[in-house]
Amino acid sequence: MLLEILLILGTIIFYFLRSRKKEETLSFKEGWWGRGQKPDTEEDATIWPFKVETTEKDLSDLYRRLDEARFTEPLEDSCFHYGTNSVYLRKVVSYWKNQFNWKKQVEILNKYPQFKTKIQGIDIHFVHVKPPCLPEGQSAKPLLMVHGWPGSFYEFYKIIPLLTDPASHGLSDEHIFEVICPSIPGYGFSEAPHKKGFNSVSAASVFYELMLRLGFSEFYAQGGDWGWLICTNLAQIAPNHLRGLHLNLASVTNMGFTHLLSILLGRYLPGLFGFQEEDVRRMFPFLKKGLYRILSESGYAHIQATKPDTVGCGLNDSPVGLAAYILEKFSTWTDLEFRNLEDGGLERKFNLDDLLTNIMIYWVSGCIVSSMRFYKENLQKGIGTQKHEKLPVQVPTGIASFPNEVMHTPQAWAQKKYTNIVSFHLMPKGGHFAALEEPELLAEDILQFVGKVEKEQLWRKKGE
Amino acid sequence: MLCLPRSFQYSQKNAVLVPAAALGVGGMVVCWLMSRRKAKRLEVGDGWWGSGERSLREKEDESIRPFKIETSDKEIEDLHHRLDRARYAPPLEGAAFHYGFNSDYLQKVVAYWRNQFDWRKQVEILNKYPHFHTTIEGIDIHFIHVKPPYVPHGRAVQPILMVHGWPGSFYEFYKIIPLLTEPARYGLGDGDVVFEVICPSIPGYGFSEAPHQKGFDTRATARIFHKLMKRLGFKEYYIQGGDWGSGITTNMGIKGAHPFSSFKKLIQVMLGAYVPWLVGFTREDVRRMYPFMQKNVYDILRETGYLHIQATKPDTAGCGLNDSPVGLAAYILEKFSTWTDKSFLHRDDGGLERKYSLDDLLTNVMIYWVTSSIASSMRYYKENLSRDPALSDNTRFGVYVPAGIAAFPEEITHVPCCWAKMIFKNIVSYSYMPRGGHFAAFEEPKLLAQDIIHFVRRVEQL
Repeated sequence: MLLEILLILGTIIFYFLRSRKKEETLSFKEGWWGRGQKPDTEEDATIWPFKVETTEKDLSDLYRRLDEARFTEPLEDSCFHYGTNSVYLRKVVSYWKNQFNWKKQVEILNKYPQFKTKIQGIDIHFVHVKPPCLPEGQSAKPLLMVHGWPGSFYEFYKIIPLLTDPASHGLSDEHIFEVICPSIPGYGFSEAPHKKGFNSVSAASVFYELMLRLGFSEFYAQGGDWGWLICTNLAQIAPNHLRGLHLNLASVTNMGFTHLLSILLGRYLPGLFGFQEEDVRRMFPFLKKGLYRILSESGYAHIQATKPDTVGCGLNDSPVGLAAYILEKFSTWTDLEFRNLEDGGLERKFNLDDLLTNIMIYWVSGCIVSSMRFYKENLQKGIGTQKHEKLPVQVPTGIASFPNEVMHTPQAWAQKKYTNIVSFHLMPKGGHFAALEEPELLAEDILQFVGKVEKEQLWRKKGE
Repeated sequence: MLCLPRSFQYSQKNAVLVPAAALGVGGMVVCWLMSRRKAKRLEVGDGWWGSGERSLREKEDESIRPFKIETSDKEIEDLHHRLDRARYAPPLEGAAFHYGFNSDYLQKVVAYWRNQFDWRKQVEILNKYPHFHTTIEGIDIHFIHVKPPYVPHGRAVQPILMVHGWPGSFYEFYKIIPLLTEPARYGLGDGDVVFEVICPSIPGYGFSEAPHQKGFDTRATARIFHKLMKRLGFKEYYIQGGDWGSGITTNMGIKGAHPFSSFKKLIQVMLGAYVPWLVGFTREDVRRMYPFMQKNVYDILRETGYLHIQATKPDTAGCGLNDSPVGLAAYILEKFSTWTDKSFLHRDDGGLERKYSLDDLLTNVMIYWVTSSIASSMRYYKENLSRDPALSDNTRFGVYVPAGIAAFPEEITHVPCCWAKMIFKNIVSYSYMPRGGHFAAFEEPKLLAQDIIHFVRRVEQL
């Protein structure tokens, strides 16, 4: 065992010495993701309004599949330890068939203005919400919010009003936002790329073009899950356009020797590695809270990063299978303890209408397969191998670190990558789907972050 | 990880045949083959896998009941409806099988399945061998039992237990069974070695009932199959295991071995490409194993996503597949493509029909479909692979019974003889097979049968 450790250490030191960080920027990634050859004509840059629609045919097809669903009885006392418990799943499906009103939910989805525009060959869907009223002399700050997997633009529906109309929700209206929530290409109502290679840098480039097309030369970006990575890449591509970057997930993929050392010794010498007490509480014992947790919860990422078309196939054909797959994440990633509950604790933090609306977005758009391909495009060469993973982020960054995220990243690690952290808060409660689960907490953190950045900017401008 | 050497009281002469030198997934059978370790004599033990509590008053029904596979119009119509309304996502341009099962080719397979595949005919084919059920430890165990049609006077018939893996079934053995029960007829010797073949379905697979309790692993399976053979009246028998069989025993050996041997392996790997003779590799070993990182690390990572999700969230992974026959076919057939020949990844049709007929492939898929066993088959991965490693380190062992290894070239990873020796202390034969992949019995039945017969000849003369 000791020999193995020494060998691993040796390899890491070797790797560390070999890879020196070079000061480079990430370039904007040109691409063409449409079908066939890129035409010679200039791209149509119009933006047209979009409404989610549904038909009787869609609904009756869905209900038929729900009626004919085949379930497998769970093992006795297995709760959510083997995945989504099918006894609970039956209850969800019964609600879905008999009480969930998709037409009503579609109306709710359509309450915010939605649009589409063609960028790099594919139609990009986005929600664009302007503040209902602005105090005199104030302008709305554009805020790009990017979802992840298995989420969607719908995750932001509760937080949007807190940001476009904070005063009505008991929040300070010093800063008011107009919010843009696009769907990542391959997710929801954004067209899926037809070509291989569409990764987070491609998505960041597309969203950068989107913001420019909407007339914003400076804006804020916020993201979690894939949104974290896409917004990070955006900050690396266009640092001069991004006033601030706010994240509710801050993973560190470029691990080095110091990281390893801090894992081995951080519990005993936290101060040496810049760990706070809460960091130690969330991270150690590392085998249990770090390594085993990642192993037990990353099966989906492994198969999606290697065989997305295979795993997505059945899910695009069975709404019950799709629901089981997606709901499992809303359970476990909200609180790992929910695995010990027969109902996965789902309705403690979310309501079924919201959960099923998110699933319906995947179902009616048929996007589960393309959503999974994003994993392969980003991870197929391994973690820590891509250029952007080695580059720092210099844009002012705010990080909201929620306690029930699957893995905790301490500030000490985050600041190696995000070199201009303006605020880093250990949030009191909440998990992975922060915007949906704790919209007030997240909105407050965004507001205070923007407040700090704006003060700093103002201060800088005064100094010039 | 595994169970291994249990020294049961009787069967000292069980021989192990480990066909695929693969670190295939899971592990089973072979492990429970007896070991001759004198140090420990472990109890056979017992288990209960039925629903609820075991009734102590009732004695288990030990009858062996004949069984026939049946189908109905309703079953076939339901299948056809699902095939008709399947929803596909178009593949990326130029993706071939690199992103998984190509949905353009899948539509062709489904069209055949819907319009030409004849399930009733296939059921008749399945029923050509005698099937049985018997209840062991609370669950119904399915098996086929094929006796040789003709045995020359005085000739001994060797009983052989053949165990399938995932995503296979007892059906994988249908082509090799006649070669073992009537070898002379197929030009495999003069009938000096003749077998009666028993192919059970692992509980949770096919027509064997799925366990209702947690914890059903290879150790329990081994014990149940041993009880089965005992119930059938066999004190001594051969055993042949694929997939689950070979993988676990190899891993067990690695895990339970002295740390020095892992270091030794590392040195062997580093030097093996340059001075193979020094570290005990043959030229063929080198050819199959290098470039090492590519073949053993990247390839394994690329091909083990299913293993990872099944070992952690089998009920989630299996849910949609039990509800969508098209999804089930894509998931299973992807393995029959990639594990048969890695180069099939580059083909738009995954090379499936080069080595198998759609009828055979779909029959195997149908076994999972009509029995709704995909989720329970996946649970096996969790029961076996997600244990606390600290527990399994205690089961250090070696397999001392005579072992035969057939190393097929297209297995995901190659295990050279010197590594296999770390676990199998009594290797009677080790053969580099000229062609073939993971599903050896299905793909190259004659080659495999020849190796089994050759191995058994050696053992019988020992």
